[in-house]
Amino acid sequence: MEKDYFSEMSTISSAPAPGMHQIDLSKLNLQQLSKLKQQLDQELNVFQDSLQTLKIAQGKFVESGESVEKITPETKGKTILVPLTGSMYVPGTIIDTDNVIIDVGTGYYAQKDIEGAKDYFKRKVQFVTEQMEKIQMMGIEKSKVREAIMMMMEMKVQAQAQAQKATAS
Amino acid sequence: MTEEIQKKLQKEFELFNNLKKEYLKAVSQRQQLDSQMNENKAVKEELSLLKKDAEVYKLIGPVLVKQDLEEARQNVAKRLEYINKEMKRSDGHISALENKQEAVHENLNKLKSNLDNLKITA
Repeated sequence: MEKDYFSEMSTISSAPAPGMHQIDLSKLNLQQLSKLKQQLDQELNVFQDSLQTLKIAQGKFVESGESVEKITPETKGKTILVPLTGSMYVPGTIIDTDNVIIDVGTGYYAQKDIEGAKDYFKRKVQFVTEQMEKIQMMGIEKSKVREAIMMMMEMKVQAQAQAQKATAS
Repeated sequence: MTEEIQKKLQKEFELFNNLKKEYLKAVSQRQQLDSQMNENKAVKEELSLLKKDAEVYKLIGPVLVKQDLEEARQNVAKRLEYINKEMKRSDGHISALENKQEAVHENLNKLKSNLDNLKITA
């Protein structure tokens, strides 16, 4: 059910976190750089996981939205199979084709008419998509920083090797 | 002398590790509150969008129990208030732990350099 995804849909702000400040990468030593890279890798992993979860949530909302489309006044009185569990069904009849009950999170379910339900799922899909875009943008930024760190590390290693060579000869 | 410092060092280290564990726990609690708050905010918004005569149910165990819309709104508002309070408490707890951690870390460094000095003179 969608319930578990509500918590994942936290509003993601793209503003820099307090305490974040600019660092001159060239002033860090190799150890600090690799630590920073590790940190970034971890953050990027969290982003990937969040994206995955949001994608699943998005899929569920899209699916529900499509499902609502199928309920029209013509479906009134038609029989359907109602899933009791994932693998057991009982026959049922659609009586009310005007309203559906939607899980809105934290255990609350609200009755909405078909138009309202369509609007609800549309809004949710849009919201999730926005959050995903935000994460993607943040991921791109972090990847850039990560690349810069990698480059700086490479430069430092080379400089070190050259210095060693110079003292050896 | 060295042994004494080593013992102290071990003690401090233990303290440090415990603090770290507590800190991680506090942070994950805080994250949980954060996600709860977001979920409740979304529900609050959804409830506010509903028409006056809309039916609202609450999932209690396996059954949906019909609720009064106004009551549901109040409940969510109350819960948000509670979560907000908890978050403030959690923030305070986290920053206190951060300060403690820093202090212990400093102590550790001091002890370490003491030990190093002793080794050099020995």
